[in-house]
Amino acid sequence: MKTGKKLALYFAAALVVTGAAFAASLAVGRYPIDWTRLAADGMDRRVFFTLRLPRTCMALLAGFALGIAGGVYQTVFQNPLAAPDIIGVSSGASAGAAAAILFFGGGVTLTALLAFAGGMTAVLAVLALAGFVRQRGVTGIVLAGIAVNALTQSMLMLMKLTADPEKQLAAIEFWTMGSFADVTMQKLWGVLPLVAAGLLCLFLLHRQIILLGLGEEDARMLGVPVGAMRCAVLLLATLVTGSVVSMTGLISFIGLLAPHIARLLTRSSRFSTTVLAGLAGGALLLVADVLARSIGSSEVPVSIVTSLLGVPFLLRLMWGERNG
Amino acid sequence: MDELLRVESLCAGYGQRRVLRDVSFSVRRGELCALLGANGSGKSTLLRALCGLTDAPEGCMLLEAESLRDMSCRRRAQRIGYLAQRSTCELALSVMDVVLMGCNPALGPFQKPGPEDRRRAMALLAELGDAAWAEAGYLSLSEGQRQLVLFARTLVRRSPLLLLDEPDSALDYERRHRLLRWLKAYAQREEAGVLLSSHDANIALRYADRLLLLRDGRLVGQVHMARATAGSLEEALTKIYGPVEVLRHGRHFLMTRGDAE
Repeated sequence: MKTGKKLALYFAAALVVTGAAFAASLAVGRYPIDWTRLAADGMDRRVFFTLRLPRTCMALLAGFALGIAGGVYQTVFQNPLAAPDIIGVSSGASAGAAAAILFFGGGVTLTALLAFAGGMTAVLAVLALAGFVRQRGVTGIVLAGIAVNALTQSMLMLMKLTADPEKQLAAIEFWTMGSFADVTMQKLWGVLPLVAAGLLCLFLLHRQIILLGLGEEDARMLGVPVGAMRCAVLLLATLVTGSVVSMTGLISFIGLLAPHIARLLTRSSRFSTTVLAGLAGGALLLVADVLARSIGSSEVPVSIVTSLLGVPFLLRLMWGERNG
Repeated sequence: MDELLRVESLCAGYGQRRVLRDVSFSVRRGELCALLGANGSGKSTLLRALCGLTDAPEGCMLLEAESLRDMSCRRRAQRIGYLAQRSTCELALSVMDVVLMGCNPALGPFQKPGPEDRRRAMALLAELGDAAWAEAGYLSLSEGQRQLVLFARTLVRRSPLLLLDEPDSALDYERRHRLLRWLKAYAQREEAGVLLSSHDANIALRYADRLLLLRDGRLVGQVHMARATAGSLEEALTKIYGPVEVLRHGRHFLMTRGDAE
């Protein structure tokens, strides 16, 4: 089959799966919705519009954003294991959220704001540090990332140590496992502009991102101002990731897994693969969230499910790769 | 007069280690210059210094009277087509995608290559290798075929100066000659200056307009092929390769190992 046709097929399939997962996520929940009464102003309508719909949209948005950002990180770092953790987004956001819970009572808005600020600060610190060290290029950023990560982790541990174990510690732990339980329409509208703007810029820069994936010297001799462009792309990917996790808490594995799924399917490094990774991420996270709220008697944090769901899927694809 | 590149008293190296010392030469429009020298003599370092990839703390490098040092990375990429000795391209892209990357310096960061770029890329592929490669995966090609594709990527933007680091190293006998013949015609047609390094002295003797001979980071000789004799070539090449003999064969010269030992 021709590559173009195959790609169209993958996209069609991804859209169908994502659409099905979206519908399932709207339909499944603790409160059974009677669809015939949706138009009337009643309990069903309120549950649908204030709980089910924003939650589902957020899961889709988060999965899509994390999948794309993950693909971008992997391309720019020329490393299939690169993930938001590598440049400190996750640990910075966790430290920010922990600080909000510990010192400011853990209000929803404030936790989100501090988590976002924490993630961005950590990444800015990494990029600034990488500018000063002698080791240039990607290696410098990775080393700076290790240093900043270690620092933020120790700050986080210190905060956990002083936290009240009954409430605060539990809240911090719960935050780092991610959940869509508290998503509201307001939260969704809060992050949507940031995520959309970040993704739009990444889409527009897609050729430059691929060129960065060639490595420092090749990219430079093809006219890419490597230092500045790499910073810009990493900050955009961080903006997208940071916005999402500030609302949901840490969501593990999607950013790493979705690009691999897309790449194993298309076997191509073109940017369309990264877009497919976004759809894969959206579908995975929707399914994970449906499971998170239906497998137990109470809600399970979503990160537990993403890993449980993602690992077999990845193994299956790797198995196919070996025999294909 | 129609001088394209002028290099004066250039010193370059990696950190504290000086590889290139006090190198001066120039390249004219339409001229194909071959850089010859043993391993570690500074061929690659010279090309990399001109591209700004290796530190060159002393000396001046002027391209049409504009200092290469002061150029922005984009401007430099527009003016110089550089083919590295090894490419790190490990991305699963089509050959066409790879060649079109060469158009990037002329495009804005959000812009994509247009139909004219595609047409030129296709024509280059057809002339240098095979038009049927365009849709093939770059990683599915052989080492030599990849080298030709990267060569096409270097040429697609028609920069006035080409710096080619062993562009023929992975090519078979026939392709090597075809490439050099094509390159020589291209340089004359487009009035581009070409500076290429090679370990194949016979290729250089046959196609170059001028030889630049490097030993231990110094320029130890220059030979204009139009004025060369077997004797002068033998003397010059012995400085870099040790005892060699140069024979005349029709209009061309051939180098072979001397039997001094």
